[in-house]
Amino acid sequence: MIDLSLNEVETLSTKAARGAGFSWGLAEDIGRAARRIAVEDEAWGVAMLSLAENAQSFAAPDPARAARWRCGEADKPAERPLCPIRTAALLLDDPPSASAIPLAILDVGLPVWLDAMLRRSNMRVAERPELLTPRADVVIENRAEVAQPVTGRRGAIEERTLAALNSFAARTYVPESERSRVRGAGGGRVDDE
Amino acid sequence: MTAIALRPPEIVMRLQRLGAAHPTRLSFLRQLIRRAAREKWRVRKHLFDLDDNGFGRAVYAVETPARTYSLVAFSTPLDDEKRSDRVIAQAWDTSYALYDGLPDSAEIARLEANAPLQEAGRYTSRELVLARANKSVRLFEEVAATLAQGRQPDEEQLLGVGYLLRTTAVYGNGKFGIADRDEIASRPELAGSFQAEMLTVWLIRSFTLDLVDHIAHRRNPAGAARLAPDLRRALGVGNATGLGMAPFLVRHPLLTHSWFLARETALARVRAEPHAGKVERNAFSKSLADLRRRVARWHSDDSRQAAATRSLADDLDTLAENLDRLLAKPRPWDPLYRFAEHHFSLEGQEACVSLILEPHGTLVDDLGDTMKADETHGHAIDGSMSCASLRQALLDSYSWAESVDFADPAANARFWYVSAEKLEPRLGERFEEDGAELEQPLATARDALGLAAALSEEPASSRVADFLLRRPEWRHAVRRAQIVAKFPYAEIHDNLIGAELRPVDILRAKLAFFGARSFDPRSDRWLRIALFSGEPLIEDVGTAGEAA
Repeated sequence: MIDLSLNEVETLSTKAARGAGFSWGLAEDIGRAARRIAVEDEAWGVAMLSLAENAQSFAAPDPARAARWRCGEADKPAERPLCPIRTAALLLDDPPSASAIPLAILDVGLPVWLDAMLRRSNMRVAERPELLTPRADVVIENRAEVAQPVTGRRGAIEERTLAALNSFAARTYVPESERSRVRGAGGGRVDDE
Repeated sequence: MTAIALRPPEIVMRLQRLGAAHPTRLSFLRQLIRRAAREKWRVRKHLFDLDDNGFGRAVYAVETPARTYSLVAFSTPLDDEKRSDRVIAQAWDTSYALYDGLPDSAEIARLEANAPLQEAGRYTSRELVLARANKSVRLFEEVAATLAQGRQPDEEQLLGVGYLLRTTAVYGNGKFGIADRDEIASRPELAGSFQAEMLTVWLIRSFTLDLVDHIAHRRNPAGAARLAPDLRRALGVGNATGLGMAPFLVRHPLLTHSWFLARETALARVRAEPHAGKVERNAFSKSLADLRRRVARWHSDDSRQAAATRSLADDLDTLAENLDRLLAKPRPWDPLYRFAEHHFSLEGQEACVSLILEPHGTLVDDLGDTMKADETHGHAIDGSMSCASLRQALLDSYSWAESVDFADPAANARFWYVSAEKLEPRLGERFEEDGAELEQPLATARDALGLAAALSEEPASSRVADFLLRRPEWRHAVRRAQIVAKFPYAEIHDNLIGAELRPVDILRAKLAFFGARSFDPRSDRWLRIALFSGEPLIEDVGTAGEAA
């Protein structure tokens, strides 16, 4: 196991999420959510890897479905499981009114991520999902207080999982050419002064 | 007292002015020095185990009221051809960790197996900062040789360089496994921006001075001189900073806002003062004289900086000639600043800001506590906002960008990317190099205008949340737009991907907030500076009166 700082957890997860195809803004959200999972669960890396590997298999909430949630109407599942990140982003950006809570949402992929994303708000998933539950129906409820960030914790990760996440992160890197090696950061000389 | 308006972001946040920034009494190393003096921090050499050539290990322990921190230093042989300022170097003359507490021998051994490797090593939450430094070869050897002969080095030569060692990286906030910033943010002594990093550099300064004394003494135990106290205090620590640091101000808009807002608030407070007392006048004159001496020694081979430094020298001459007249006016610091604004170069104007703040600690030092930010709050997006409102906010905040035509290749010439080789930010040429499809989200002006155009195609009353549901690619730009609308100093008011961009301007602004001096651009994308030159030594503050 390798012991990562939480900043490393966030940075790696942001890059891996971007490498897996999430937009920059959503990747930032995922990095912060990964940090929240890591302070509580040593298997955060596996959860992050699962998100990256399944990123393309989820469906975003369609506008009509989102409208039903706002009105408190019964949810209808889509063909593919809902993307937990896109769903959480929508709920965070424009929280449902009190009358729409508790809100039942059907067939959410990797619901631990929905819960982790919502934890920076006054919403939560009623029954906290298991880390690797592939898909589940969830109920969103309100809570009295927003959880404060935990400090003094680390994010352990197995080397194999780390390597797999690094391979997703590497999709965001640009290989060096000789030109960029010389020009990229300036300098390029031996320091003799 | 009539209030003075803050200088607006369209003046303050331009790259040319950022590239003329000067350190002030609110700079982070000054804040650290004031706290250390106020709390009478004590430093002691817990271990100093170096051989005749100065190779070995040392531990400097700093006792603050609540905790002890230790600089663990390693000095190792280095072939001359491996000595490089660049972040891609793999070996250094010296390496360091700022340790939380006092390390025992097992911890020192653990660090000795890792710190000299820097990025290739692995660290724990006991390490707060990781750093390395190389000798300024010619000067270091000359000083060691001169001291060994029982003489003091030539002052002008010594202060012309200003340091014996130059750091090439100072890492904090969880890098390579060291402690997260969150773990120390609640400690008063390290709560401010970059206080742990500044403490590290301050201690490195003392180590470099002790190192050269030690080598000289070992060469000639009976006759070597120790570096004279006034020269020790005049010397700082060098630093070479490259592109890796440039995106910081862009990636941390709330923090950036807090830094600039504090400085601008301080300036406005002083400009509104009704009188200049004798104490303040004398302090200003002393600071002006000190700056003129520093400027006379400020050397750079960079033609732009050399010209700017000459203009600054002229500006300071003019200021000295007009000082009595300006300070005789009512509310004198305001006409003094306006005189600078009308007659001086940007270097002169920003130097004047620093000088004006200098005598006014009781009026402005409390602002140091505001130079930090909880960036969690800025992360939330207000999706209930209408697309029309967000678009209008964008057009208001980014009106300065409307004149930039991003269809013009020159305006779109560069792209920021992360290099696969060093995992560091780099700047590429969009139309000449591969990789632009992997561009980092740092094209602030282009993205703001692009977002405004995308929003213009939405029904005016539709909500941002619905827009983002369909267009998640704009999420980062929406987040930024909402921050910039509320925090006016959060954004640099220039195109960060244009052909004319000089990243050293961004670097200089950040380094000035650290407290850096002697800016010496070595290209458009890296520069050398000095930290702590002329400031008290850390070993002096425990016994001296409170630093100004």
